Amino acid sequence: MTSNLRKRHRQEKWFQRMGLFSLCLALLFLGIIFGKILITGLPAFFKTEIEAKSAPQHLLNPYAQYVDQGKWTAASDAVDMYYKNGYPGTLSPQDSQSIEALKSQNKIRLSFNGAFFTHSDSSAPEMAGIWGALLGSLLTLLITFLTAFPIGIGAAIYLEEFAPKNSHIYWIEATINNLAAVPSILFGLLGLLAFIHFIGLPRPSALVGGLTLGLMSLPVIVVTTRASLSAVPFALKEAALGLGATPLQVLFHHVIPSALPGITTGVILSLARALGETAPLLMIGMVAFIATPPSSFLDPATVLPVQIFNWSRSPEMGFVENTSGAILVLLLILGLLNGLALFIRKKFETHHGF
Amino acid sequence: MAFKIDVQNLNLFYGEKQALFNVSLGLPASQTTALIGPSGCGKSSFLRCLNRMNDVVPNLHLEGKVLLDGKDIYDPSVDVVDLRSHVGMVFQKPNPFPRSIYENVAYGPRIHRLFKDKSALDQIVEKSLTRAGLWDEVKDRLQQAATRLSGGQQQRLCIARAIAVNPKVILMDEPCSALDPIATAKIEELIDELREKFTLVIVTHNLQQAARISQKTAFFHSGYLVEAGETGELFTTPKDERTQGYITGRYG
Repeated sequence: MTSNLRKRHRQEKWFQRMGLFSLCLALLFLGIIFGKILITGLPAFFKTEIEAKSAPQHLLNPYAQYVDQGKWTAASDAVDMYYKNGYPGTLSPQDSQSIEALKSQNKIRLSFNGAFFTHSDSSAPEMAGIWGALLGSLLTLLITFLTAFPIGIGAAIYLEEFAPKNSHIYWIEATINNLAAVPSILFGLLGLLAFIHFIGLPRPSALVGGLTLGLMSLPVIVVTTRASLSAVPFALKEAALGLGATPLQVLFHHVIPSALPGITTGVILSLARALGETAPLLMIGMVAFIATPPSSFLDPATVLPVQIFNWSRSPEMGFVENTSGAILVLLLILGLLNGLALFIRKKFETHHGF
Repeated sequence: MAFKIDVQNLNLFYGEKQALFNVSLGLPASQTTALIGPSGCGKSSFLRCLNRMNDVVPNLHLEGKVLLDGKDIYDPSVDVVDLRSHVGMVFQKPNPFPRSIYENVAYGPRIHRLFKDKSALDQIVEKSLTRAGLWDEVKDRLQQAATRLSGGQQQRLCIARAIAVNPKVILMDEPCSALDPIATAKIEELIDELREKFTLVIVTHNLQQAARISQKTAFFHSGYLVEAGETGELFTTPKDERTQGYITGRYG
């Protein structure tokens, strides 16, 4: 009896230690990934500048000479890389020497790289920025929200509260649950077929991207909304029905307010997933090189994760830090969205006493 | 004697399964009728037929008549929303809305538009809470969340919510089973006071409670109404052997 008890306690301790170990392992990997991205990405937010008059022309950025005529001018990509990382690349020994000379005279410095946030994609890494992709992401996400939110919520409310319990409805429910698990690239194929080939919308536009991501988000929104609706206690509906509320009043006065934190959280998280999605957008051609930010829903556009994908394939050293910098921005936005979901959940949670 | 609710030859089916067999029972006005019987005997099903709360159950089928003031509530011309404003209900577990105390009581009058202005609504709320014996305890914190009240207070709030729409009948489905003895005593006292204004029907597992608060008692067993009569009479001289067995504690 006692030995058996000791064995059971030992098992429990062992099990807890296993759990702790897995958690530590996961945290370690997370730390490594974040550390690596931070170290590589942070320099993207800064650029090397040289006091223009004191440096040979070829060390200055060929584009920047026409852009900023001030005292400090952006250095070329190779100088930028050398100054930040000590990586010589294509620089000749004489060039390296003149950079060292500039350094000792304080005529070369790092300053905030505003261009990274205000420029769109470019073939020169030091001129490339995320503005176009950011704007594309925003327009795309807006379309996704406008389509997936009303349709998803409406479908969920109908299925949960009004639909008759028959075999047709059962099959629709099963299909929606399965769609939530379909690989996202298949939704890209569907978008390509439905919106581009069939309807004929312009190819790499935010409209098509948004609609495709909307299709992808729909089943997830339906499933999470239904889960929060069904979590509303039946006693609450009974109380309202017993007072003579109509089913519609029960729905709008009691069920939806109680389910709202869950619904909003589900919608925000599915939008966050859509924001980070790449594969379906590759299928509909949003992978193209786009140097001008979109000014409407029909203009060619790209989105942040696709921009990251594009930059990660470029050979120039400068695009390495651009890639990591854009990842940092994407992670920041996703973190904010998740934080918002958490905040809404905590703030508007209703406490049922039963 | 005229009955407030007169149930005639009620048969209730859940799909194939029959839950009530040919039940006929009159519920006298301004009296409390207690429904007693072992679990699964059909007393709660019977109660829920009286304000059609059973309507939401799929495959439900019903035969017979339930007359409220002489009018069949299962007649197609009857609006179930209107019916429930006349036949209120208090449930087994206190189920206040997750809103303020004030809004809980005001909800019924609001959806049925029973008041002219804000001060009239304030009056309805105060009157209902006073009647439910809760006013003195909550008058200084009407805007507080109802879910923060104690279990007994919540149940009295649910009673106040039910009487705020001024129903003719109040149905109570084991209203004290989730409460402690002191809260139960308060509700029982309240039921006795409410009887003058409303017709009460209460389902209870507690035989002493039935004896204390009701004027009429009906004993159900396996879907049949075995015996109904004056409470005193039924408890002292039951006519049926099964009633005798149940009230003396031989089964149930």
